[in-house]
Amino acid sequence: MSKPVLIVGGGPAGLSAAHALASVGQSVVMVEKEDRLGGAPILSGYAKLIPSGEWARDAIGSMVARVEQNALVEARLNCQVNEFSGAPGKFQAQLSDGSKIEAGATILTTGFTHFDSINKPEWGFGTYDDVVTTTQVEQMISTGGGVRCPSDGRKPERVAILLCVGSRDRQIGREWCSKVCCTVSANLAMEIREELPDCHVYIYYMDIRTYGLYEDLYYWKSQEEFRVKYIKARIAEVTSDGQRLIVKGEDTLVKRPITIPFDMVVHAIGMDPNVDNMKLGAIFDVDLESHGHIGRGSNYSALATTSRAGVFVAGAATGPETIDDSISQGQAAAMAALATLNQNIGAA
Amino acid sequence: MNQASAAIGDPLSESPAVAREELEAVFADIQSHPLYDHELNGCLNCGICTATCPSAHYYDYSPREIVQLLWTENLEGIHDAMQEKIWACAQCYTCAARCPFGNSPGGLVMIMREAAIKHGMESAKEVLRPFSRVMLKVISTGNQLAPNMINAEHFPDWGPHISKVDAPLTVLRKAIPMPTLHTLETAWEVNLKTSLELYVIWEESGVLDQLETMDENLFDVITDIMEEKRDDYDDWLEDQEDEDGDDDD
Ligand SMILES: Cc1cc2nc3c(=O)[nH]c(=O)nc-3n(C[C@H](O)[C@H](O)[C@H](O)COP(=O)(O)OP(=O)(O)OC[C@H]3O[C@@H](n4cnc5c(N)ncnc54)[C@H](O)[C@@H]3O)c2cc1C
Ligand code: SF4
Ligand code: SF4
Ligand code: SF4
Repeated sequence: MSKPVLIVGGGPAGLSAAHALASVGQSVVMVEKEDRLGGAPILSGYAKLIPSGEWARDAIGSMVARVEQNALVEARLNCQVNEFSGAPGKFQAQLSDGSKIEAGATILTTGFTHFDSINKPEWGFGTYDDVVTTTQVEQMISTGGGVRCPSDGRKPERVAILLCVGSRDRQIGREWCSKVCCTVSANLAMEIREELPDCHVYIYYMDIRTYGLYEDLYYWKSQEEFRVKYIKARIAEVTSDGQRLIVKGEDTLVKRPITIPFDMVVHAIGMDPNVDNMKLGAIFDVDLESHGHIGRGSNYSALATTSRAGVFVAGAATGPETIDDSISQGQAAAMAALATLNQNIGAA
Repeated sequence: MNQASAAIGDPLSESPAVAREELEAVFADIQSHPLYDHELNGCLNCGICTATCPSAHYYDYSPREIVQLLWTENLEGIHDAMQEKIWACAQCYTCAARCPFGNSPGGLVMIMREAAIKHGMESAKEVLRPFSRVMLKVISTGNQLAPNMINAEHFPDWGPHISKVDAPLTVLRKAIPMPTLHTLETAWEVNLKTSLELYVIWEESGVLDQLETMDENLFDVITDIMEEKRDDYDDWLEDQEDEDGDDDD
């Protein structure tokens, strides 16, 4: 019987890899540091996902259930890998629960960390209660509570969504685009307008990156059907006049500074490299790429490779990714891991 | 209509068209400034700089526009901005502290101002005219003010409300001694040798050339002062040598 594949991280990418391996009879040990499987969409309580429109708890929940019910997958929750050694076909891992396991191959699906808006103090998060993040708005919607100002529970009449918070910003050392937040924001704007038809929703952007099929389904639709207003400006600062939030920017298309009152300001937070990546890089002896994500060994000839043979990577661990792409990459990594196992059958 | 066929100017500008060579020369000076590449990395056109810029709120001035003109090498637009807009910047550098691309629009304005001076632009002369007394003192003594000279009487441009914050400064300064207080009497009395060293700096760094282009009268006054001090110093050296000669021989 071949040794199991060790999968580190139980988000969409890890769940997809585990399911793929189990469905061809390969056993898996899944190590997840939180107390639940599902990754960011479940842990952070996302609402309706792009582009399917399905609720995260249904869509990702069913991926979790499928894996949990499979006898070939053993999930270790509240658990991490402390030490890792060996070679393809015969890796050993020391886990934080004190146990030791053997693995034929390993897949890192450790995902990303949400940008912490506190690192951008001029945009008011942490100073004003009614400055929130996209994950908070996702939670307001997914819990059924509705979009309300945290300060006093009132329904906002004017909401500003600021794009690229924690992305595309040299001042805070984050030069990448987080890829999903434009579409996620257009989606949330429509959900806000649906729940609160009298609420004005503004999106402040530098470029709108609703790439591919998201263009008309999110960007155009949010304007044409939901009257979401897009202003080409990056906000300089969010303050308060004691009653409302005051947002300062430049409407760059008409070239004038603007100062506008809002009830709620939403940060479209970006996807940071997982805060654990330095540690993971050292434990698994894999290189990180220049932004701090887990580096890919090859882009074309072999998918899902890292700098170390037999250790693979998939999903947002490699950089900002959508759920769909994370799932595809999880399957690619499963295939690569299987190939490693086949090449090393009989390894001691 | 005739004017338009004579030279291609900025269609948005009311000022007369400028020869292409002059536009290129001005831009070449801006672009070759040692700080230029450091202050300009490209631009996201996000407008953060203009949104935080105090001057943009009061004048027809936008740091993003300045950056955009420079980055796209819009020579007419650059030249046009140098006729008025660049003098609206307060040089506070809020823009540089906030720009997500690491640009310094305020620093770029500083470079453009240097070029405006070098090219003897009328806008620069106009802006500097009220400062001739300040320049006279700074260039001839290296020092413009002593702390006690900073009071409402000397600065009518502070406006009428300054009296509200006008405290008995002399008393306060004695109560909270400042390290510069000893300069009250001596602010404009500069050691002869120090003055001469200062003049070398002005000459070598091109400040004197700039002054000559900007204000010839002031330049004459200041060079006279410099010559006088150099003569004084030579006299002093001779005196020293005479004394030395007496001692050594
Ligand atoms: C606000 C927001 C909304 C989004 N909405 C959508 C959407 O609607 N549609 C879409 O396609 N994408 C969306 N995304 C992107 C989506 O979250 C990611 O594509 C997806 O979560 C990536 O899955 P993953 O499995 O690679 O990583 P993750 O979901 O981050 O999962 C990683 C897992 O690994 C675990 N882990 C991390 N470190 C360790 C460790 N050291 N040891 C053990 N376990 C560890 C984590 O606890 C987590 O369970 C959104 C992103 C944001 C920020
Ligand atoms: S996806 Fe949009 S909001 Fe997100 S970082 Fe990229 S441009 Fe900014
Ligand atoms: S340095 Fe000049 S351009 Fe920059 S914010 Fe200050 S006044 Fe505006
Ligand atoms: S803040 Fe920087 S990137 Fe944004 S418009 Fe100004 S110069 Fe360009």
